[in-house]
Amino acid sequence: MTATSTPAVAKPGLFGKEEISAVKDPLWDNNPIALQVLGICSALAVTTRLDKAIVMGIGVTFVTAMANVVISLLRNFIPNKIRIIVQLVVVSGVVIVFDQLLRAYMFDLSKQLSVFVGLIITNCIVMGRLEAYAMQNPPWRSFLDGIGNGLGYAWILAVVATVREILGSGKLFGVQLVPQALYDAGYTNNGLMVLAPGAFLLLGVIVWVQRAISGYVEK
Amino acid sequence: MNLNSNSYVLTFAVGMCVVVSATLAFVANNLRPIQESAAEFDRQKNVMVAAGLCEPTDARPRAELEKLYQDRVQEFVVDTKDGTVVQGKSPKDVTELNKAAAKADKKDEARYRVVATTRADGKIESVVLPISGKGLWSTIYGYLALESDIDHVRGVTFYKHGETPGLGGECENPVWCATWRGKSILDEQGKLVGVGVKKGHVDPNVPAEKAHKVDGLSGATITSNGITKFVLADLQAFDTYLASLRK
Repeated sequence: MTATSTPAVAKPGLFGKEEISAVKDPLWDNNPIALQVLGICSALAVTTRLDKAIVMGIGVTFVTAMANVVISLLRNFIPNKIRIIVQLVVVSGVVIVFDQLLRAYMFDLSKQLSVFVGLIITNCIVMGRLEAYAMQNPPWRSFLDGIGNGLGYAWILAVVATVREILGSGKLFGVQLVPQALYDAGYTNNGLMVLAPGAFLLLGVIVWVQRAISGYVEK
Repeated sequence: MNLNSNSYVLTFAVGMCVVVSATLAFVANNLRPIQESAAEFDRQKNVMVAAGLCEPTDARPRAELEKLYQDRVQEFVVDTKDGTVVQGKSPKDVTELNKAAAKADKKDEARYRVVATTRADGKIESVVLPISGKGLWSTIYGYLALESDIDHVRGVTFYKHGETPGLGGECENPVWCATWRGKSILDEQGKLVGVGVKKGHVDPNVPAEKAHKVDGLSGATITSNGITKFVLADLQAFDTYLASLRK
């Protein structure tokens, strides 16, 4: 991957150069969705409504950060032969905790997100960060890296969901936004936006725009 | 220490499993009461959605909806065998009653069921019947509410299931559930025929279809057929009770 994955000499201070770039890089320069094109399936599935997308973003951020910390703490004790399985066990554990919390405190949303919370386990971003970053870096920096990557995923989801919800249902956060007068004048919601292909098109546009601005060129 | 020796790998793997499972068990145990109360509220809300007292996406706070439920909905136990209301028993006792009934006769394991009614001016406004049965992957739970004529459907909800999201899972879609409204469970002779899910679209020119069928869920024929089957079976179970209400 990029410079962030090379182990660096530990520097004093909570927010040194390394720490800041651990959070900042995945937000734009090395965005997990726009540049690495990871985590696409859930980005298609949960972006019909903004509240779903935000909760999913929080979930992935929580899981990546927590799993990163645990794996980073254990990194010197994990036998190389079974490291992927160990990573999976940790990720699954954290995901189940998040799912249980959702069921207790946000029952409605947990019903709507249904299987997709459980599927965070298979989200490539999580495993990717564990293998590429947490296995080589100390806990605090790994935690920040997890937060950064989770947020990098979350903001793209939020953008896709905002456009999909407004165009597809005329709402935002479930509140009617497009006035009835417009519907009376012949306006209709765009059905494509409610379905997965709508998200696919939008995601393509976002990746394109992001890469055009950041000047990234495929090697 | 040799990190790659077999004994170390084994010890690490076992230790890992024990720690993770203990943590998960601890978390699940502590959250259970809160989850159960959230699920119970969801059930109550679905009774009210079927009865038309609130919307599935109602923005009112939970406390207000709980109060609405207490004020408007009466729940009681019905003996489906003779169609009478069981006096002196609350919905909480229904599992016990059924266990005792099943001991006497295996076929009676679902003899006692909880029915809800809402009233307006002392008269029954709607009767909410619990419905449940097999879909494709899971048991689907829902509520079917009938109008005061005990014939036309007032509303339906499916609130707990494990069907495929986007296919069979669409049974909880409020738009689809709304198409059940106004369908009739009795034919012209007053015989119970239930409300069924048709594969494809309902033909509005065929009176029998228009009155008793709703559009199928695309890509979910087995879920649709399951719903048709268990809705009829549950309505049959309540037949004597419903007949007593019609009088």
